[in-house]
Amino acid sequence: MNPTFLQISDLEFSIGEASILNGISCQVPRGETVGIIGPNGSGKTTLFNCISGFNLPSRGRIIFDATDITAVSPHTRALHGLGRVFQNSGVFRELSVEENMLTALESRDSLIRKFFPARSHRAQRRQLAREFLSEINLDAKSSHKAGSLSGGQLRLLEIVRTLAFGAEVFLLDEPTAGVSPRMKEDVAGLIAKLQQRGKTILVIEHDINFIQKFCQRILVLDGGRVVMDGPPDTVRSDRRLQEIYFGNKTQSES
Amino acid sequence: MSFLQALLTNEYYIHLVILICIYALLAQSFNLTFGLGKSFNLAHIASYAIGAYTTAILAVDQSRSPLPCMFWSLVLSGVFALTIAIIAIRLSEDYFAIGTLAFSALITALLVNWKSLTRGVLGIPGIPRPEFSFFESQTFYDNFNFLGLAATVLIVVELLLLGIFSSPYARALRAQAEFEQGALAIGHNARVLRTISFVLASAIAGLAGSLFAYYINYIDPSSFSLTEMVFIITIVVLGRPGSFWGVNGAAAFLVLLPEPLRQFDLPPSILGPMRQLIYALILFGVVFLNRNKLWPRLRRI
Ligand SMILES: Nc1ncnc2c1ncn2[C@@H]1O[C@H](COP(=O)(O)OP(=O)(O)O)[C@@H](O)[C@H]1O
Ligand SMILES: [Mg+2]
Repeated sequence: MNPTFLQISDLEFSIGEASILNGISCQVPRGETVGIIGPNGSGKTTLFNCISGFNLPSRGRIIFDATDITAVSPHTRALHGLGRVFQNSGVFRELSVEENMLTALESRDSLIRKFFPARSHRAQRRQLAREFLSEINLDAKSSHKAGSLSGGQLRLLEIVRTLAFGAEVFLLDEPTAGVSPRMKEDVAGLIAKLQQRGKTILVIEHDINFIQKFCQRILVLDGGRVVMDGPPDTVRSDRRLQEIYFGNKTQSES
Repeated sequence: MSFLQALLTNEYYIHLVILICIYALLAQSFNLTFGLGKSFNLAHIASYAIGAYTTAILAVDQSRSPLPCMFWSLVLSGVFALTIAIIAIRLSEDYFAIGTLAFSALITALLVNWKSLTRGVLGIPGIPRPEFSFFESQTFYDNFNFLGLAATVLIVVELLLLGIFSSPYARALRAQAEFEQGALAIGHNARVLRTISFVLASAIAGLAGSLFAYYINYIDPSSFSLTEMVFIITIVVLGRPGSFWGVNGAAAFLVLLPEPLRQFDLPPSILGPMRQLIYALILFGVVFLNRNKLWPRLRRI
């Protein structure tokens, strides 16, 4: 059995003259949770965009579940099991909370079924949506416009929507940004549930204290390169981490 | 009921209701692409033209019967939209609108210049009213009966659209309109969803064109100008994009709106521009009031 589920090798990406990713490699076994940290602009989101297929790398390969997906369209990657939770929330605010769930549950249906869903199918989907929503205590809000939810609720909804869609890998881009401290715990709880279900998780976060609790491994990005890759304790105690985050400050102080 | 009877025995009112049927078809199909999908397909009016000319040419030059005429109007308009979609679907909103405007201009140029087929600006006169073997031969020369035909087409199309508007397809179309990458991330093929909406909407516009040609008996390129496109946009924007009943209501309201002006015995040279001014003001006003709502805010990923 090949333990590597997601393999990224020598990924490069640039916009015009600016090179954003400069040869990123990493291997993620199935079921692992990897934290990704790094200063603003270090290329974390861009790395996710390359994995999701929204950015096409100029070099390198992405292999997912033994398939080379480097040139595969984004929606096809998603159907293979690559899930994505966006930094600025990917919830459809004009749709109701329930509709956000339904559209994720329905995306694998045939085109004919998308136009003419079987009646029994409809009821079953709504039931399923309710069950998922009750996991995040949003079942009472299912008919509300998703735009009315709080920052934390939006995160929870997007993660659960991705779970309902059937993702195996979760790319979580700053899932606690704009989330109240109390709701942060709910997000952490939901991530733990994903882990229990054996999902593979890559999570971008600024707060190393927050992610070290549930990551087996932390990747540090700087200037589009992986500068550290190891267990949370090792990365935390590494002197270089201070330099990357506070390098400028140290310089100005000296 | 007697009021309705009185209305519908008046030739002029029958004429207005037939126009409402045709514009409701045009607006409701535009509502599918623009209201739900937020794609601004300015070639919608060209699909209407293709439908009208297809019926006119087949009925006049080839003496084809109505079912094949309507069928080909629908199919050719659909194929036209498919062509646009294949070429222009990659373009993002504003560029897409400009791209479709170019297609619309192309069709107008063809209508004016391909004289051997379209007779140019002179247009095609003498389009017969449709004759079906199961009705008496002159049935649809009576406008009241023609209204029955137009209303039947409208009801069938609207029932179909009503189903589509609440289907999983429409949900996905709305989702990708709001945030395309978000829809892609849950496996929706956004381009295919949009292409289907163009083809469906265009086919319906083609059918509306066919009805129009049969009704008006004479068509020329001026019936399919950008002014008509503006009128369709006004209906949808006033009716609230995405709202099925709102757009139906707005179609009826806007067709009837200039009617009170008739009381003032204005010459046609004033009446015409005045109607257009009213429509333009309404469009501007509604767009201004909804300036933050018509398109979703672009989201960075
Ligand atoms: N669409 C874009 N156009 C121009 N520059 C971009 C674009 N996307 C990202 N960048 C640049 O790429 C770098 C990395 O961005 P990003 O991956 O979003 O960083 P992070 O998520 O680590 O904060 C930044 O310097 C950013 O300015
Ligand atoms: Mg980022």
